[in-house]
Amino acid sequence: MARLLEDQAKKLLARYGIKVPEFRIVSTADEAGKAAAELGKEVVIKALVPIGKRGKAGAVRFAGDTQEAVKVASEILGLTLSNYPVERLLVEEKLDIEQELYVSITIDSSVKKPAVIASTAGGMDVEEIIQKEKDKVKIYHPDPILGLPAFKAREIWSELGMSGKALLDLTATLVSLYRAWADLDAYLLEVNPLVITHKGEVIAAACVLGLDDSALYRHPDLAGFVQMGMERAWRPLTELEKQAVEVNEKDPYRGTARYTEMDGGDIGFMCGGGGGSLLMFDTLLEFGGKPANYSEFGGNPTAEKVYGLAKVILSKPGVRGLIVAQNITNNTQVDLVAQGLLRALKELNIDPKTFPIVVREAGVNEDEARRLFLQAGIDYYAEEVSMREAAQKIIAKMQEYYGEGSR
Amino acid sequence: MAILIDKNSRIAIQGITGREASMVARHTLAYGTPVLAGITPGKGGQEIHGIPIYDSLKAACQEHGINTTAVYVPPAFVYDAVLEAIDNNVKLIWIATENVPQHDALKFLHLAKEAAVIIVGPNSVGIISPGERMKLGAIGGDNPDRCFPPGRIGVISRSGGMTAETSWTIKRAGFGVSTAISIGGDSLIGSTPCDLLALFQEDEGTDAVVMFSEPGTTFEEEVAEMIAAGRFTKPLISYIAGRFTETMPENTVFGHAGAIISQGRGRPSQKEKCLREAGAYVVRNLDEIGDVLRSLFGEEKGGQ
Repeated sequence: MARLLEDQAKKLLARYGIKVPEFRIVSTADEAGKAAAELGKEVVIKALVPIGKRGKAGAVRFAGDTQEAVKVASEILGLTLSNYPVERLLVEEKLDIEQELYVSITIDSSVKKPAVIASTAGGMDVEEIIQKEKDKVKIYHPDPILGLPAFKAREIWSELGMSGKALLDLTATLVSLYRAWADLDAYLLEVNPLVITHKGEVIAAACVLGLDDSALYRHPDLAGFVQMGMERAWRPLTELEKQAVEVNEKDPYRGTARYTEMDGGDIGFMCGGGGGSLLMFDTLLEFGGKPANYSEFGGNPTAEKVYGLAKVILSKPGVRGLIVAQNITNNTQVDLVAQGLLRALKELNIDPKTFPIVVREAGVNEDEARRLFLQAGIDYYAEEVSMREAAQKIIAKMQEYYGEGSR
Repeated sequence: MAILIDKNSRIAIQGITGREASMVARHTLAYGTPVLAGITPGKGGQEIHGIPIYDSLKAACQEHGINTTAVYVPPAFVYDAVLEAIDNNVKLIWIATENVPQHDALKFLHLAKEAAVIIVGPNSVGIISPGERMKLGAIGGDNPDRCFPPGRIGVISRSGGMTAETSWTIKRAGFGVSTAISIGGDSLIGSTPCDLLALFQEDEGTDAVVMFSEPGTTFEEEVAEMIAAGRFTKPLISYIAGRFTETMPENTVFGHAGAIISQGRGRPSQKEKCLREAGAYVVRNLDEIGDVLRSLFGEEKGGQ
């Protein structure tokens, strides 16, 4: 899923007639001071990073004047949030808040419909408030074809106790938000808070926008905005992960190879497909193994892609063993797996006599795969063992090579 | 007997001339499953592996009475292909395509439901009913008998690859498969495990069901409710992969798009607890499936 940074999300919302605060993007404290002077009033300074709960992390703060803006900006620029160093800031006008509300639009996969969540309790603790005060929240599932009609948006706000001009403005805003969500192929559009100012304006003060990667082909104009590969968003990609993305993208039409680095560990983990990798990782942990990474490969990758992935896995410092295992595959040519892996081992001067390797690969052309692996002195299994038994074998081999203390 | 596909299935492949689809068509015929028609707009009148190609599904339906389609068109065209199938009164639409836009899936799943059409997928490896020698999709590749001997155990898997491995585990224990279904790995899919269990409940050829699950979704929680309510009364053996994801930082996605951990719902430990309390056999490793099957049905019943 492609998550947009707040400035891009707000620019997009503005296209749909939704009011957003005036803002500037800066990357130094001095620029923040200048931006505050330009905006000419109190400002809010926010870390521009693709993660939630910034307020609680001290990365959303107010500044009363230019001097304070410089000070606050320099403090936020020094932070690292969920492993993301703060490199840029959003400096925006501080709103005169009369009331804070909450709106989100997402896909509720359990009922297979869009879900519109509106609440008269917005702000930092919205989750808890929504839990406790159920009368302050409305959840509505629009018909996926018909969308959100204005009358329904009006009903939602009216039942939440809104009236007069605010009711009309909130209705118009909610309808526009839904239109943006539908048009942009978003999976999540969240506005928190949606603010009513003293003057009675309805403004999207902060927002989160995530788009469906699979639909980006319909939005070529957004190509530059969107950060790909954000699905593992608990931290930025490591160098090895970037290399793996390159390996995968080089030939996007045949097979997949995904790699996630783990802290520590000594067993290189080269498994697939999606479900098979989950099973193997659980099983290695159960037997006391320490995988150095997570991976998924499958879909009949080329030898080149297997080679690229194997090289990434084996390059991580501390890796001193390798498990290669997949479920019995429907279509993967396992001789290509053998070719790719053997090439990587040769290039990295890894000798199976001193470096434990267990392979469990059953699929197309497995007789040739068996020949190649056995010739190279590697323990190869197809149907003779289950995936679980293959996991046991690599653990045993690690102990045999490195002794009991290796675990 | 079987569910979803059997000797009465009259199959067409939408997008038959693509690389993957044409290979699958060849393997499907080799397995003994008739493929009556293929649809590739602009190639009507041609043939592939002896299968006639039509420009529209309507023409194929008129000629062959198609009631089941396999959708192999690229992601941008899936919406239209599904609408075409619904419009032509096809009763089962199975979708192989990966990376279908979610908003498209929302719409066609809704329309299919209104028309009482069954959808399996998107992003499914296939469906196979070995006793009927019927299959849809790449499932089993060029050698379906390796993992899918005929028998009386149903298989439901969130993972395409593990549909085969789970069935092979059943075979290794001396049993066979009535129907195995890869339900698809996307966050929005047509038939859920509950939908399929309702069919297995009615199927006289199925004695028990094995289910392979992953983190995310509320499928298992729903299945537990279904069992507790007495709507599925056959033995259900459940294995849930990905327990380790519970110890990972939030926002981590492993496996398929659906494997998203959010708010306790969808956590493997939670799923296991619900299912166990409802009376399902929850195994902690796949190899235990054989032990449970043997304890339920004895040694001698294998493969029958």
